[in-house]
Amino acid sequence: MENKWKFGIRPKITIGYIIIIVCLFASVIILNNQIRSLQQERNFLLQYNNKVETLTNNVEKFVMDMQAGQRGFVITGNEIYLEPYYKAAGEWQIEFKELYQLMADKPDQQQKLQVVRETTDLWIEEAGENAIRLKRDNDDAAIQQFYANDRGREYMQSIRNQFNDFRESEREIAQVRAEELDKQNNNLTGGLFGLLLTVSIIAIVISSQVSKSIVRTINDVTQTIKKIASNNGDLKERIHVNTNDEINELANATNDLLDNLDGREWLQTNLAEIVTKYQGVASIEALAKVFMSEIAKMTNSSSGAFYVREIEDNRNHFIKNASFADNNFEKDIGRESFRIGQGLIGQCVQEKQTFIFNEIPEDYRYISTGLGEVPPRSIFIVPILFEGDVIAVMELATMSEYSKLQQDLVKQIVETFGLSINSVIGRMEIIRLLNESRAMTEELQVQSEELQTQSEELQMQTEELTQINEQLEEKTKDAETKNKELEKIRKELEEKAEQLTLHSNYKSEFLANMSHELRTPLNSILILSEMLAENDQGRLTDEDAEFANVIHSSGEDLLSLINDILDLSKVEAGKLEVLFEEVNLSELPQHMEHVFSPIAQKKNLEFHIFKEDDVIDLFFTDEKRFQQILKNLLSNAFKFTEEGSVALTIKQIENQLQTEEMRAISKDWLEVTIADTGIGIPADKHELIFETFQQADGATVRKFGGTGLGLSICKQFARLLGGWITLQSEEGVGSVFKLVVPSLPNGLILDKHLNIDYSEVAVTQSSYEPSTAFVSDLARLDVQKQTVIEKDEVLVSLHDHTNVFQNKNILIVDDDYRNIYALKTALEKRGVNILVAKDGIECLDILQDNTEIDIVLMDIMMPNMDGYEAMYRIRNDLQLKELPVIALTAKAMKNDRDKCLEAGASDYISKPLNLDQLFSVLRVWLVS
Amino acid sequence: MDKQGENMKLEEVYKQHEDLEIDFLLEAIYRLSGFDFRQYNRSSISRRIHNRMNINGIETVTGLLEKVIHEEHFLESLLNDFSINVTEMFRNPSFFKTFRKEVVPILRKYPEIRIWHAGCATGEEVYSMAILLEEEGLKDKAVIYATDMNEQVLEKARKGAFPIQKMQAYTKNYMLAGGNYAFSEYYKADDQYAYFHPSILENIIFAQHNLVTDQSFNEFHVIICRNVLIYFTADLQEQVQHLFYESLSPQGFLGLGDKETLRFSQVTEKYQEIAGNERIYQRV
Ligand SMILES: C[S@@+](CC[C@H](N)C(=O)[O-])C[C@H]1O[C@@H](n2cnc3c(N)ncnc32)[C@H](O)[C@@H]1O
Repeated sequence: MENKWKFGIRPKITIGYIIIIVCLFASVIILNNQIRSLQQERNFLLQYNNKVETLTNNVEKFVMDMQAGQRGFVITGNEIYLEPYYKAAGEWQIEFKELYQLMADKPDQQQKLQVVRETTDLWIEEAGENAIRLKRDNDDAAIQQFYANDRGREYMQSIRNQFNDFRESEREIAQVRAEELDKQNNNLTGGLFGLLLTVSIIAIVISSQVSKSIVRTINDVTQTIKKIASNNGDLKERIHVNTNDEINELANATNDLLDNLDGREWLQTNLAEIVTKYQGVASIEALAKVFMSEIAKMTNSSSGAFYVREIEDNRNHFIKNASFADNNFEKDIGRESFRIGQGLIGQCVQEKQTFIFNEIPEDYRYISTGLGEVPPRSIFIVPILFEGDVIAVMELATMSEYSKLQQDLVKQIVETFGLSINSVIGRMEIIRLLNESRAMTEELQVQSEELQTQSEELQMQTEELTQINEQLEEKTKDAETKNKELEKIRKELEEKAEQLTLHSNYKSEFLANMSHELRTPLNSILILSEMLAENDQGRLTDEDAEFANVIHSSGEDLLSLINDILDLSKVEAGKLEVLFEEVNLSELPQHMEHVFSPIAQKKNLEFHIFKEDDVIDLFFTDEKRFQQILKNLLSNAFKFTEEGSVALTIKQIENQLQTEEMRAISKDWLEVTIADTGIGIPADKHELIFETFQQADGATVRKFGGTGLGLSICKQFARLLGGWITLQSEEGVGSVFKLVVPSLPNGLILDKHLNIDYSEVAVTQSSYEPSTAFVSDLARLDVQKQTVIEKDEVLVSLHDHTNVFQNKNILIVDDDYRNIYALKTALEKRGVNILVAKDGIECLDILQDNTEIDIVLMDIMMPNMDGYEAMYRIRNDLQLKELPVIALTAKAMKNDRDKCLEAGASDYISKPLNLDQLFSVLRVWLVS
Repeated sequence: MDKQGENMKLEEVYKQHEDLEIDFLLEAIYRLSGFDFRQYNRSSISRRIHNRMNINGIETVTGLLEKVIHEEHFLESLLNDFSINVTEMFRNPSFFKTFRKEVVPILRKYPEIRIWHAGCATGEEVYSMAILLEEEGLKDKAVIYATDMNEQVLEKARKGAFPIQKMQAYTKNYMLAGGNYAFSEYYKADDQYAYFHPSILENIIFAQHNLVTDQSFNEFHVIICRNVLIYFTADLQEQVQHLFYESLSPQGFLGLGDKETLRFSQVTEKYQEIAGNERIYQRV
């Protein structure tokens, strides 16, 4: 195209115009020449005619002059007249010659002039000269004569005629010439118009041709552009122009523009495409892979690798993140990493420049295709920048060449790709940090859990320790007091030792006597009853024999009882032997049945024996003592029951229900319950009846019979067996005795014994006393009638081991005397020291001087200073932050309570006061 | 330097060995008693073991193991050691306050309410909940299942007698938890214990249940399991969380201890947290 001979619009138009102008010039020149030659001809004609006429006239005149001169001379004879004659005669010749020469081209006219000449010559000779000579000769006659026939005149006439004729011919010739000129002139005008026409035609043709060629291409262009416009930007359309002019250039330029646009569109779509492709890609590897695969597609690359910067020890490393060969990402090509400046690619990083190589370095790797290894035609290394730093590099290789557009595409993509990489790296970093922080919080969580467990364990240990400490303290305290007591007792003992030896002598003596006295008759009874029971002669009925049996066995019991009395004294003295041996419990029910059903029958009582199945058969205890206890209790039960039933229940205590201490002693514990529906025992006597040799209350002895030994023996025996007896009883309802004993194959170990000793008897009436009644420490039942402010109410007070109220100082702040009085009496009974303040101000006064106050009971509604303010001041003005202040509030108002707490109350209790509750609260706040 | 390295190595080996010993011990305990501590938080278990070793003057875990196997009551006392029963009434009072504020209004709409206290220890938490429900008038339609793997603590819990020394703190907790009445209305005290009124015990069922080995036994509207999961490894926590999820009614509530969280559990998406940091979650 470019090489083609170019014919622009400008030269086209110029040449057109030039042609037209040249035509015009040519025609003007031709016309001018024509006109000029015409003019010359005319001028020549005019001059010629003029000359001819002048010459003709001159010649004629000369002739005339000669005639006139001749005549003058002839007439006058004066020579003067001859002068013009001669002059004319001389000049005539010259003029004529000239005229003659002029007529050189017209022989006809020359002919005529020849004639004139001859005629004139003739005139001169015959007329002129002759006459002159005659005159001169004065020959008048001849002259007469001559004139007579006047031949001159004839000649003259013919000269005149001849001249006229000549003139006439000349005029005719001029006429012809003029006509010719006219004709020529006409021709010229015609030629002029003809020329004009031709030039016009040429101009029209040229302009139309030129304009056509211009307009056509322009139309072409317009058409194409219109098409492109209407095709919604299909930039594939191109303008085709055949001419080679500016329009062509325009078209070419437009085509170029279209190419450019097309390219740019390709670029943009590819750009957009690639951007959408790697949108939302979360990892840099995935990003690199997507990126590379797209780029490879767009650039027809056959292999490539993508490296991302990693900073290690403050040095930049570029690590391969993706690579492919022949669009296969599995194929691993390219080196794993490089540093800045290492190799071409490293150089590219260093210079932050895009490299494109069309001459492949020798050592460059070959592209492996299916057929073998082919060197790439072109490689393209592009650094990817972010904020002026190279953060990644891409290397591409192709078997063809990278077009400008492809290069541009890559460069453009790369421009924003840095940002993408950076944001992905950033995102990855954020995700990493997030994971890390998650892991850290998780770790923290674990740690905080760990801390919690540790603190709980510690708390546990502390609790255990404090418990142990408390026990230790208690024990040391006990030990101290016991020491002191012991000391005292020791002295007393020493003092009484002598007395005692005396006494014990008496006692032993008494007992010995007693047993002797008793045993002797008893022995006879035993023997006799045995004999009777044998019923040898058959004189007795079966029933009688059975009675004899009973007498015998009861007698035996009695004997053993007597022995026991001895034993009891031995127990007292610590001298009783206990023999732990195997006991078969399976026989126990029959045995008891055997012993007690006759009594039951007699008293018309029901006698039930229950033995639970899971009771073990073999039990280690002292059988004698054990049975003794049971018999004792049972006989008591039958003794004090007039109607209803007596029940004996034998069961084993479940492991879970055993206390720690019990478990420490044995895993098998027996619980034998003897329940009756008898007269019962009043609560205040529960303890008394177990006291040894307790005979203070004769009535009791009478009422419950016996020596008062039975239950004490039971109690002592139970102890000796490692167990204890408990009692639950209500007057008029009945009694329940429980014997609890362990199975002790190895006998009783002393320190365990002590422990048990401590927890002898539990008696309680509290409704929420746990069902397993061996809670150890509630020894005394304390039923008191308490005066309660509003109504009387039975306060079931639980036993206080030590009286926490003793010597405590309680400040009552109240303005109601009845309240004060009620509280005062109730509290003083317990050994509390009471102080009273009638309002807040007094309360503060007292607290200011008195540091011994343990608790403040604070009424709210008081004159002068109410409870809220008083409490507030106690906490803030007096700075008594720890002092327990218990607010006495009116019940319904939650608001009151909140205000109390705000003011600094430790606790609150609603009015009307429930003494039970009050004592509970005081206990809570009195513990330190 | 070298010596130190050697020491460290020795220590490591020692630790490895002890880990192994503890594995054996826990396996033995599991086989002998059925109590499965194998997935308990190792550091805690190991401290408890060392505690016991110190007390009894035993040198190695294996020594302990021997006693566990051959001495009659030793296992029992070791099991006791493993059971950390620290608890309080209205422990973390804000939990109960939030419960009152956010959960109770929803429970109010239910015709009946089943609550499970898993790992209730000596019952303080259960009594607290019962008091709260009583005050909110929900007591009669509520049934509280209080479980623990330790029978002994359950026995204590049934008694409802708590050491008087702790009552001052409990009173404070009660008040901070938004208690409506005087705390003393709920108990009577002697000089050792405060005995809570038996009426509070109504509708409370104490039962032995082991979260590791036992299954769900009902569907509950509320499950409270506080300061139990901290003794478990993450895996076991996850297992127990699934048990809870299964045992919870739709829209049911789960209450955890203040150092515990659902955040790292798989079930976390199935719950939404109620009211900030109180570890009360609602099943969604
Ligand atoms: C620290 S106390 C928590 C008491 C109460 N929930 C509180 O937060 O105050 C942990 C209790 O979880 C019990 N426990 C531990 N593992 C258990 C398990 N696998 N199943 C049931 N209870 C378990 C222990 O016996 C102990 O009583």
